[in-house]
Amino acid sequence: MRVLKMTVIAFPLALGACATTLPPGITAPDAGFSLVADKTRAATGRKSVWLQTSAQSQQVAKEIHALTHRKTITADTAVQVALLNNRGLQASYAAVGLSAADIWQESTPENPIVSVGLLGIGAPELGLFRALESLARVNLLDAPTRKRRVAVAQADFQRAQMQAVVDTLTLAAETRTAWIDAVAAFETVTFLNQASQAADASSELAQQLGQTGALNRAGQAREQVFDAELAAQTAEARLAASVAKEQLTRLMGLWGTEVDYFVPDALPQLPGGLRGTGAIEAQALQNRVDLEVARLSLAATAQAYGLTDATRVLTDLEVIAGAELERELGEDGDVETKILPQAELEFQIPIYDSGKARMRKAELSYLQAANSLAEIAVAVRSEARVAETRYRGTYAIAKQYRDVVLPLRRIIDDESLLANNGMITSTFELLIDVREGLGSKLDAAEAKHQFWLAAAGLDAAIYGGGGGAGGGDAGGVELAAGGGAGH
Amino acid sequence: MMNRRQLLGTGVAGATLVSTKAWSQTDNRSLPEAALTDAAGTQPPVVPTSGPDYNPVVTLNGWTLPHRMKDGVKEFHLVAEPVERELTEGTTAYLWGYNGTSIGPTIEAVEGDRVRIFVTNRLPEHTTVHWHGLILPSGMDGVQGLSHPGIPPGKTFAYEFDLIKSGTFMYHPHADEMVQMAMGMMGMFVVHPKDPAFRRVDRDFLIMLNAFDIDPGTYIPRIMEMTDFNLWTWNSRIFPGIDPLVVNKGDDVRVRVGNLTMTNHPIHMHGYDFKVSCTDGGWVNPDVAWSEVSIDIPVGAMRAFDFKAEHEGDWAIHCHKSHHTMNAMGHDVPTFIGADKTNVTQKIRRVQPEYMPMGTAGMADMGEMEMPIPKNTAPMMSGWGKYGPIEMGGMFSVVKVRPGVASDDYADPGWYENPPGTQAAEWTGEVPEPMQVADATTRYTDPPVSRG
Repeated sequence: MRVLKMTVIAFPLALGACATTLPPGITAPDAGFSLVADKTRAATGRKSVWLQTSAQSQQVAKEIHALTHRKTITADTAVQVALLNNRGLQASYAAVGLSAADIWQESTPENPIVSVGLLGIGAPELGLFRALESLARVNLLDAPTRKRRVAVAQADFQRAQMQAVVDTLTLAAETRTAWIDAVAAFETVTFLNQASQAADASSELAQQLGQTGALNRAGQAREQVFDAELAAQTAEARLAASVAKEQLTRLMGLWGTEVDYFVPDALPQLPGGLRGTGAIEAQALQNRVDLEVARLSLAATAQAYGLTDATRVLTDLEVIAGAELERELGEDGDVETKILPQAELEFQIPIYDSGKARMRKAELSYLQAANSLAEIAVAVRSEARVAETRYRGTYAIAKQYRDVVLPLRRIIDDESLLANNGMITSTFELLIDVREGLGSKLDAAEAKHQFWLAAAGLDAAIYGGGGGAGGGDAGGVELAAGGGAGH
Repeated sequence: MMNRRQLLGTGVAGATLVSTKAWSQTDNRSLPEAALTDAAGTQPPVVPTSGPDYNPVVTLNGWTLPHRMKDGVKEFHLVAEPVERELTEGTTAYLWGYNGTSIGPTIEAVEGDRVRIFVTNRLPEHTTVHWHGLILPSGMDGVQGLSHPGIPPGKTFAYEFDLIKSGTFMYHPHADEMVQMAMGMMGMFVVHPKDPAFRRVDRDFLIMLNAFDIDPGTYIPRIMEMTDFNLWTWNSRIFPGIDPLVVNKGDDVRVRVGNLTMTNHPIHMHGYDFKVSCTDGGWVNPDVAWSEVSIDIPVGAMRAFDFKAEHEGDWAIHCHKSHHTMNAMGHDVPTFIGADKTNVTQKIRRVQPEYMPMGTAGMADMGEMEMPIPKNTAPMMSGWGKYGPIEMGGMFSVVKVRPGVASDDYADPGWYENPPGTQAAEWTGEVPEPMQVADATTRYTDPPVSRG
């Protein structure tokens, strides 16, 4: 296993004077945002940091500089830098503190944990990162939510924390996507540069043949215009790569001397096999933080209307296969869940009923929120299925290029050289075959790009934060046809 | 090495099964055995042991079909079938031919003979044999549908006619002719004069001009090609796969050439002038024959020319259409002469590291460099002589005139040793200033200055 650099930042825990009546945490400067050092140390995952002091900022800035300045950064590093350095994320974290302050006087919530592992790309320890992330989120979600004394405030607090997690995951996913896009853009530039060299050689050869009297002006121009067009195409690709890298820079919050980082010239090769995606819908329903946010909103609504004080008359609303709603009255008022054939797909939405007419409006509001949650759950399932299909589909496509198309291209290249040796074909034809081979390499690189986007999108579909990832139709670069002098 | 039969696919395999039946029928009918060969070298002449005497011919890189006499009729057995022919070392073609070879074996007979030629069809489609140039009954002329029905796969037909004139003739299918000739189905038919002493020579060579379009790296001819052939062959061989014409000094020599390509071929022989002795129509009266050093062989025609082998040496004999002395090459390759490929080469090697620049000083580097080229492809020009690459391919051979060669010896005697003082060599003395002109103006040689 690769050993990742530990970046544990110790936060001074300054307790206020009145903290004696409250458990530590709420009154701390990083209330709601403590780190579980021992667990992260075990996993060596990187953490997000809520910067509140200049000392912290300086330390982080120093670390960012060390990670980025004239360095070629990996996807992991990019995500780490973004989590440490993105100011939008810090704003999100501040919201957690604000909501913590709201319940300062009333609550002693357990300190939830916000820790984000890296989903990784092409990293053998991929699974470990996911495990860490899952662990951190479970800790967060398991924080008690039903202490009556502070129910409403705590629900808000939890929601703020969840939103912070969503923001963190979203930033991580966007950063990873941006890194993948940027590297793919530079890989495209690499192949176009090679194609440009082939076109440049054709153009120069055409010019030479013009001088010796073997090629007329039209024939020369045909070769040269292709070279010129390809040069324009290459310049466009370079521009696209710069823009893509700038997007990554923005997400990482870099400026000044830190923008002189590099990304690799090529995306990692396809992995040997796919990772298991069994019961991805169930995983998503269990793990999606945005879903949890919606659920907490529902709870907050319930608490705001005092529904938790009412007698529960309805059992859980069960959403099965994204459409079916089923209500079942509990015998003794307890929640009774009907086990359905696809138990792993079960997602429960609690429905409460005060049993009092005056709460009618509140009930309807609650039902409205519950159905919205159900809708989100349907979307989560669908997104999970799409992510899995895309993950497998893009892998099959990229594998087809790697295992079938490119080896065939190699045969064409080899035979083209032999035919050129035998003066059976001309140098121009050799170069056309070279360019067409590079066109296939471009297609293969684009297929690989789509696969890595889909791989990142798979994690986002399970854990949330998938706004940016998911593999859009970026589209490959298509080489213009060559001039083919001598035909 | 040439192989015998080659299965070319299910259709052919089917034909082979059918032909097994044909073979048993052959046995039942007591047909003459159909001789086969698996060699591509020139086989010595077959001296007749039955029937009237004649002076046998030698088919370059070929052979003569044996016959048997039955009730005063000379019987032959041709089998039309798929064959593999080694065009030259390392290059094999999948063709159709006769009795294991393309071209088919030469049929030799004598003016006045009655011949009966059994033709067994082991091809996947019907065929016929047309006896090109012979005078015979209309029903024996072998034109599918016109003279007689085609010979179906697996069947044997018999052609029978009298040979009423001597000369050089050919045989080839006249059924699906375009395909079957493009696939290599052809052979030569020599009718000797009744009098063995008439226009007798010591050595009598046969060359059939044929052509194929076989894409480099492939094996089977493109039968639809009309003009852009890339393999110009003698007896379905390309140089350096063509044997030399070995001659004893002082011999009277005849070369008979038939042309079944789609273009004419000016055959040029070095070191000699020669006289046309026989055309399609018959023998040329020696009194009116004129001397030449090249003879144009028209499409579908036969010519024979004679010479006395007085001049010792290795003398080239070849078609004078210079593309016809090349093997597979690209006709769309631009002329690179004079182009500076230095920078281009560096650029190309970044994307194709093994690229070699060629052709910038002409094509001779093709003859010298032994670069890897596609499989089953003969280099455009190849073959080495005593002094280096000969830079020829296709329709090219060497007439080797040596003293003391036995009358039945046709083996390659090796390269000729030029006697001292008879070979061009570097001049080490003072070189006179060459005369040059720089424009295209017509000039008259200055009249000699009067010294009186």
